[in-house]
Amino acid sequence: MAGAALVKPAPFDYRAPASVEEALPLLGDDSTILAGGQSLVPLLNLRLARPELVVDINGIAELDYVREEGGVLRIGAMTRQAALERSELVRRRWPLLGKAIRLVGHPQIRTRGTVGGSVAHADPAAELPVALTALGARFHLRSPGGTRAVDASEFFLGPLYTVREADELLEEIEVPEQPDGAGSGFAEHARTHGDFATAGAAAAVAPGGPAAIVLLGAGPRPVRASAAEEALAGGAEPREAAALSAQDVDDEHRRALCTELARRAIEEAMAGVPRA
Amino acid sequence: MGTEAGLSADRFVGRPLRRREDDRILRGGTRYLDDIDPPGAAQVAFVRSPFAHARISGVGVPDGLEGVVAVITAADLKGRAGDLPVQGIQGGRVAEEGHPVLAGDEVRYAGQPVAAVLAESRALAEDAAELVEVDYEPLEPVLDARSSDVTLSHWHKVTGDVEGAFDSAARVVRASHALPRLAPVPMEPRGAIASYDEAEDMLTVWVSAQDSHRQLAGLAAVLGRPEESIHVIVPDVGGAFGSKGAPAPETMLVAVAAMTSGRTVKWAEDREENFVASYQGRGVEADVELAFDGDARLLAVRARIWADLGGYLMPTTAIPGHTTAMLMCGVYDVQVADVELLGKRTHKVPTGPYRGAGRPEAAYFVECTVDIAARELGIDPLELRRRNLIRELPYETALGWTYDSGDYARCLDLAEELVRPERRSDPARLVGTGFGMYVERAGGQFETAEAELLPDGRLLVRSGSSPHGQGHDTTFAQLAAERLGVGVDDVELRFGDSKEVPRGVGTFASRSVAMGGSAVVQAVDALKEKIEAVAGGRGMSLRQVAEAQPGLRASARFESDLVFSSGAYGAVVEIERATGRLRVLRVVAVDDAGTIVNPILAEGQVIGGTAQGLGQCLVEEAAYDEEGNPTFASFVGYSLLTAAEMPPVVAKFVETPSPLNPLGAKGIGEGGSIGTPGAVANAVADALGGTRVDPPFSEDKLWRALRS
Repeated sequence: MAGAALVKPAPFDYRAPASVEEALPLLGDDSTILAGGQSLVPLLNLRLARPELVVDINGIAELDYVREEGGVLRIGAMTRQAALERSELVRRRWPLLGKAIRLVGHPQIRTRGTVGGSVAHADPAAELPVALTALGARFHLRSPGGTRAVDASEFFLGPLYTVREADELLEEIEVPEQPDGAGSGFAEHARTHGDFATAGAAAAVAPGGPAAIVLLGAGPRPVRASAAEEALAGGAEPREAAALSAQDVDDEHRRALCTELARRAIEEAMAGVPRA
Repeated sequence: MGTEAGLSADRFVGRPLRRREDDRILRGGTRYLDDIDPPGAAQVAFVRSPFAHARISGVGVPDGLEGVVAVITAADLKGRAGDLPVQGIQGGRVAEEGHPVLAGDEVRYAGQPVAAVLAESRALAEDAAELVEVDYEPLEPVLDARSSDVTLSHWHKVTGDVEGAFDSAARVVRASHALPRLAPVPMEPRGAIASYDEAEDMLTVWVSAQDSHRQLAGLAAVLGRPEESIHVIVPDVGGAFGSKGAPAPETMLVAVAAMTSGRTVKWAEDREENFVASYQGRGVEADVELAFDGDARLLAVRARIWADLGGYLMPTTAIPGHTTAMLMCGVYDVQVADVELLGKRTHKVPTGPYRGAGRPEAAYFVECTVDIAARELGIDPLELRRRNLIRELPYETALGWTYDSGDYARCLDLAEELVRPERRSDPARLVGTGFGMYVERAGGQFETAEAELLPDGRLLVRSGSSPHGQGHDTTFAQLAAERLGVGVDDVELRFGDSKEVPRGVGTFASRSVAMGGSAVVQAVDALKEKIEAVAGGRGMSLRQVAEAQPGLRASARFESDLVFSSGAYGAVVEIERATGRLRVLRVVAVDDAGTIVNPILAEGQVIGGTAQGLGQCLVEEAAYDEEGNPTFASFVGYSLLTAAEMPPVVAKFVETPSPLNPLGAKGIGEGGSIGTPGAVANAVADALGGTRVDPPFSEDKLWRALRS
């Protein structure tokens, strides 16, 4: 109870493992992983999150890296969003990530917030899950029982809800090589600068047609706009393709918003693709 | 900082001096309530109702919790604390429904304090508060003022032959408007610390408040103690916007707890408490009718106003609605009016004064209806205004207030010239321009000051008015320095301690310069006479005078009727067709606050007020769900504008001096929040071709309006 006298959240136990091996046995149904804390700490302070054990992984240095291996981008889960934002490698080869990260909260939030935290928290208003889905990322999970990799398109299930099991730790985000001459765009709408997005769209377009278009705010998780992707691959103009992106969105205004943001994201992406 | 070199010390009024208090504030030299950390203080957390409306059948208090000093419920307050007092309204009726310190057998809003836990730390108090078991029987909440059966305040005034005017009118224009509730959101939330000296029977209360004396009076009334046995100290205050004017129930609890526990007791609320339990602004609807003759001259005004007052009356809850009602003739020459105010009980946190406090509501209702009338009459909205503006002042309105001074036509001309009106439309965007005028009651009642010649020849001024961001330390020093013929740095100001400063009224209603400043000037003038009597024309320095007669001091109590600031605001807005997104492209603020003492500070007030005015029409809304739960308990649910959304603001002053005080000053603290919403609303309607929506002007509302 000594700690309870000092902190605002409901009482909890606290561990700060120094390695993944130390962390894994601590994970389970009654524990919560603390990464950058930009979502978890407010939830704790409001007593909306009431874990018995907080496993603070900020001391796990082995999870903090951004590197390229054989054309593939590997991001340690504890990499700060600001580090990704400043990475020359990312800016050059995976610019969509930088475009998305610039829209995450404010600089102070990106300085603390982590890439893995944003993925694992799975806020439906978060930019990174949308951009990573558009880039075809894979998420590497480890538990005491072993490891597995899950495609971004299958990872997110709903608001704050993913396929990650309670005893699994997200270790790494793997982003595949993007084709030469690929273009990307990210557009979003928020009530005020730095506020949570109400809608958004990410587009990754390869020369010759193949495209990924993913919407934010069109559902409880990142939503792939398959009809728009096919239309664009078939040579449709951005406006025509965008018009097909949000047809399943019920609310008329939200549909209009998603459609407009998809158009902007596609146009931005196409502007980066050399004309054949 | 301080006096600028090379300028003579004898003219300070009108000089753009930088705020001399900022150096201390920006370096963190301030001492806010939560910076005061008395050793051994017990910390308070409140158990707050999770229901909008419920009967309480029992409160189960856990005992033997580690670190818990006491748990206080309504039963413990019997004989120790009454309900908060309720202020009346002139010419109207107000129910005796004062806010209880803790809920007894009923709660009337989600967030209402039901019990208080005193513990060795705030964290322990919060842990223990969760273990207090309250048996609630939920009841149906009333959430809409128009459908509420309980009237808490009522005011009705009819002047002239209203029926006749409407019957004979060439045109009658009708409109309904609704303004949402707003959370005040000061940077520093509320808080109080109390300690009780039993031997001296002296209760000392530190409180984050707009002044010390209203807190003192509230404590005396609720606790049934003589005022002489209470000492109130207001430390540095990080913003209030009206929300720290009336004493809070929580402050009363802290005082009682200090007396019953024998401990120093501290309550420093968190942001969630501030959102759900601090009294809010606006929450007012109106049906407005204007009658015009064949020349588009205004014959009569008829209005019915519903104010959503919440579950109880805070001391000042009834005031803003009354101010709205009294200003429903706006800046127009019309002597026939029928205005009724119905203040209704709802199951929400009480409302109260919030920057503008009734004036933004009136300006919005009148100015939006005038624009609707212009459209229906087929007249340019500025021409319709010019045809009906009051041109000769002083002017007694049909509702009973006397506008003391102003040049409304000049304000409007300037606003039109500066805003560069635009109206255009292309496939991507719509652009429109709107104007809103206002007249604002300011000042009134009295204010006090005391001037003392210090042994070193410097001047000490104690003011009954008290700052929480307005810059009193600079403006009052300018006034005092000019009157005594010394430098600004030779003047020291003191505020906020009820034992030290003379009994005053406080800082609200844009009254500090007109009332507090006038008292300062009069006190310094009186001191100057005494100094001259000592000097007897012998050419003595102030230090020599102080040596010849130590302790020279003089005081003043300045009293005056209300003064009336006024202004005209213009706004140009752009609406994006595809999304409904609204951008305010520019705002022009023309204010007549009488004599401007410091143009930098006055402009700062206008820009800050304009930002708040923009917030209230663009994004702010303290909305409750259908069960009466607040949806705005954090910044996720309640949006504030950021610097990124601020358009360029041009602020200009028309200086028509008030005849009612020695400075000719009126008030500038609220003009921006009063003038802006109407101007933006009219610009939005202009862009939409006349379609109106109620604030906040969210993109979904505007997008749907574009399709209607």
